[in-house]
Amino acid sequence: MKTKLYILIAVFFMSLGVNAQIDRSQQPKPGPAPKISLEKPQEFELKNGLKILVVENHKLPRVSFNIAFDREPVLEGEKAGVTALLGAMLANGTTTISKDDFNEEIDFLGARLNIGFGGGSANSLTKYSNRMLELLADATMNPLLTEEEFQKEKEKLIEGIKSDAKSVDAIAGRAGGALAYGKHHPYGEFVTEESVEAVTLADVKAYFEKYFTPNNTYLVIIGDVNTKSVVKLAKKHFKNWEKAATMTTEIVEPNTNPEALEINFIDMPNAVQSNISLTSNVKLKMSDPDYHAVLIANKILGGGFNSYLNMNLREEHGYTYGARSSVGTDKYISRFRAGAAVRNAVTDSAVVETIKEIKRFQNEPVEADALANAKAKYVGDFVLALERPSTIAQYAINTKVNELPEDFYATYLEKINAVTIEDVNRVANLYFTADKARIVVVGKGSEVVENLEKTGIPINYFDTFANPVEKPEFSKPIPEGVTAATILESYIVAIGGLEAVNAVNSVRTAADVTIEGMPFKPTAVMKTMAPNMSSMEMSIEGMGTVMKQKFDGSEGYAEQQGMQRPMSEEELAEKAKEKGLFPETYLDASTLTLVSLTAIDGVDVYKLNVDEDSYRYYDAATGLLVRTEKSEEAQGQTITSVQDLSDYREVNGVLFPFVQKITAGPQVIGLTASEIIVNEGVSAEDFK
Amino acid sequence: MKKCLCSLATLLIMNLTISAQEVKFEEYDLSNGMHVILHQDNTAPVVTTSVMYHVGAKDENPERTGFAHFFEHLLFEGTKNIPKGEWFTIVTSNGGSNNANTTDDRTYYYEVFPSNNVELGLWMESERLLHPVINQDGVDTQNEVVKEEKRLRVDNSPYGKFLEMIKVNMFKKHPYKGTTIGKMAHLDAATLEEFQAFNKKFYIPNNAVLVVAGDIDVAAVKVMIEDYFGPIPRGEDIVRNFPKEDPITEPMRAKAYDPNIQIPAVMAAYRTPSFKERDSYVLSMISTYLSDGKTSKLYKKIVDDKKMALQVGAIDFSQEDYGTYILYGLPLGDVSLDDLVVEMDEEIAKLQSELISERDYQKIQNKFENNFVSSNSSIEGIANSLARYYMLYGDVNLINNEIDIYRSITREEIKMVANKYLNANQRLVLEYLPESDKE
Repeated sequence: MKTKLYILIAVFFMSLGVNAQIDRSQQPKPGPAPKISLEKPQEFELKNGLKILVVENHKLPRVSFNIAFDREPVLEGEKAGVTALLGAMLANGTTTISKDDFNEEIDFLGARLNIGFGGGSANSLTKYSNRMLELLADATMNPLLTEEEFQKEKEKLIEGIKSDAKSVDAIAGRAGGALAYGKHHPYGEFVTEESVEAVTLADVKAYFEKYFTPNNTYLVIIGDVNTKSVVKLAKKHFKNWEKAATMTTEIVEPNTNPEALEINFIDMPNAVQSNISLTSNVKLKMSDPDYHAVLIANKILGGGFNSYLNMNLREEHGYTYGARSSVGTDKYISRFRAGAAVRNAVTDSAVVETIKEIKRFQNEPVEADALANAKAKYVGDFVLALERPSTIAQYAINTKVNELPEDFYATYLEKINAVTIEDVNRVANLYFTADKARIVVVGKGSEVVENLEKTGIPINYFDTFANPVEKPEFSKPIPEGVTAATILESYIVAIGGLEAVNAVNSVRTAADVTIEGMPFKPTAVMKTMAPNMSSMEMSIEGMGTVMKQKFDGSEGYAEQQGMQRPMSEEELAEKAKEKGLFPETYLDASTLTLVSLTAIDGVDVYKLNVDEDSYRYYDAATGLLVRTEKSEEAQGQTITSVQDLSDYREVNGVLFPFVQKITAGPQVIGLTASEIIVNEGVSAEDFK
Repeated sequence: MKKCLCSLATLLIMNLTISAQEVKFEEYDLSNGMHVILHQDNTAPVVTTSVMYHVGAKDENPERTGFAHFFEHLLFEGTKNIPKGEWFTIVTSNGGSNNANTTDDRTYYYEVFPSNNVELGLWMESERLLHPVINQDGVDTQNEVVKEEKRLRVDNSPYGKFLEMIKVNMFKKHPYKGTTIGKMAHLDAATLEEFQAFNKKFYIPNNAVLVVAGDIDVAAVKVMIEDYFGPIPRGEDIVRNFPKEDPITEPMRAKAYDPNIQIPAVMAAYRTPSFKERDSYVLSMISTYLSDGKTSKLYKKIVDDKKMALQVGAIDFSQEDYGTYILYGLPLGDVSLDDLVVEMDEEIAKLQSELISERDYQKIQNKFENNFVSSNSSIEGIANSLARYYMLYGDVNLINNEIDIYRSITREEIKMVANKYLNANQRLVLEYLPESDKE
């Protein structure tokens, strides 16, 4: 009874309380900002220079040991790859423990141990942590470096380089750094098959001796330890690590930024997307007063889903799965980057939109809620990261290596929250740029360069090793079965078939002529007769005939303004080669080279090399001849004349091009036929 | 752990006499049947608010596979007080992160925030339970998203369909024969009315557990919980009656084809008990013994020494009602799929006839110890474990005690369990082949 009464009363009070004080239609506001407590590590230094930092954390029975080398940038030069090889070979045994025994023991303990060129770490349960510290020290100071492992890693690294050769992203990564900093700068150099081949085991060992020293090295210990005992243990295991003589490194200056925006294009014919990366070198250290403002600024420009770049390139235009930007921080040099991987067809548009967003970002102050959201993200990430002991280790290392003020992390949130709209605008114009930058584009030239040229931004071309090259020939793979012979045959079939073509004995063309830049509108009459007789007469209304060219089968001349000049030896020899009105009927396919499948104005064409300097281009779809190209010496200069043919119409069962455009150096001449007649109106006299 | 219906005036508090590294928690029920678990840890200023609902793909109408997962997507479309499209923005603009996931057995939603936003997390989760907006627009949008997810993760993914193939062969009666992601046709056929009915049936406080873990003030949080979740009306209790499978007594063979691969794979799959049963823990240790790490038995022999395979492994895929134990291998060069099975069978035969060595036994124990410590290393992980142990195992203390089960398993037991479940006449051998091999 009593119990029931008690419950009834409780329920009664509960039902009163249900007229809750909350209004669910209002989103709850955050409470006061949580207090951040960051443990400061205890610091110790050994006689050999090794600095030990310890943070106790007894929440879980595990320990983490981290070694970090504080070095100046290392320039490998001709032996690029030596540090990668050294890194790959480490943590595979010591001079007293074989590789198998070493790996087996770590596996047995359920632990993890990794060492690379920059440092190492070991993680395990508390009960095995003493042994792990011993193994970590041994593996760091006395690694087992054998010829067998070296060869294995060398092969793997070279295989990796080979398989990256077709990776657009891998090439963009290495070329981007090389173009930004310079190929001979520590941040710009990269491995190649040659440089890796040149590395020997002796080189690897020499690098180990030189760079794996206790000077400027930190050992950070986080977890379930007793500070006094663990430092004593560390002293025991590391005391024999010999201090090295102080190193002096030559500082290599990085490239300067271009004076004006330029595109650096690298052609990769297999690319299905273009990798676009706008890059500009900046100097920004974590200890600089602008640091926090730059973080927030970058978040707004391109640091997340709701950034200017992503909302434009992905959400508005659908060019890419994600567009991002970043500003690196480094003691020496780093860079601002903005980019995305986009579909080929929109490469030029993506470049234009990226520039547009950067300029908008520089010119217009950001909105208050964009600022607030960027800050919230940084505050949230910072707070959530505090849960992980590895964060504390990283902060300890950063503070030392980057020479940060002691209260850098304690005041981090305060400084982030203090960034104003004016601060963002100021740093936007100091560290971000779309002017003194290069836009590295790695992609399929045959599909993207034409449109990139239309943006008006100057383009410099490079190969996949960041070496400057001439603008390449952009071409596609030639389909199976297509040869010079089949292309000639296709042409003949396309224009009417061999029978109809052979039935043509003479052709008379009357055409209107336009000469770019000239106000006159000449007309021309051109005649040809098999095998190689030709005549051309150009007249201007009111002036009569202004130009003539004739060849009667054995002799010929050119006449202009009353002056006649006979055809030269070379010209006569050229004429002698003509065996008919249609070269495709007599050209020997075996002497021709099918150079490439390329594009003219977006149309696929096959390019045939006829002889030294002359080319013929046939439309891949229709088979028609669309262009001929010839380079000639004239007055000490090489002039390439290009003849474009179009508007094919049928006359007597054969298709003839009614429109020709001839470009010779700066001159452009257009011929539009008003009439083409076959086998009529032409006699042998016309060619004299 | 008996569940008890308690009013506000009486709360159940766990009495703990264990060491400081244990996960401490308290649990109680609201009057509407919602179970609440609280874990306080003030070392880092983070909080996770999460709700697990006891509904998953196995609760679906068999003509509507993928439904539970589809519904999970719908619960991000907005609530009466959270406009459509705002959910993620609210989370990120308050410094948080969030996610959700669906399995055959349950659906789990969570947010991680800096701890001054615990009320926001509670409000959001209570909003989607109390009055989510489920409309045709949401259904149409999320249908496309879910189908795209299926394409990305399964259809276009190399080896993406192997689990589907195994399940359909291993289970003939129980709903585990379907997949969580579902079939395209079923996804297209799902109607708004069906979603509303599903919501009404399964998304009720008495089918859910709320977990709040991290840097919290327990007394203040309890008040918030009552304010936001207390008024949500209780729903009808759910009765479940899943058909049972007949034991497998004969070997089964099947073939499957995948257009995304060039290298075939072979899988040997065995039906095993639910993860709640002790034998399932033993099988988990066997899986580690066989395939975890470079010195594990299958890896060392078949990949490293004999160089017969690119990859080999064992997956202990255990669930609420049954488990599936899968051995797999990808052959190298000319090695045939049957050859690989022979090699793997050799290791099983050894397990069945000999005890594993003392050293190997200790190695496995060390690995499980490590896993146990890691699983309780983040607030997000602890919250998930608390919810899972409550809802699917019926025992929240496992968050601290599960390691004792592993510690108590003997080498003899390992041998016994291998004999009981890993027999050739009780399994499926699946040849998972490249589409181009089809005749």
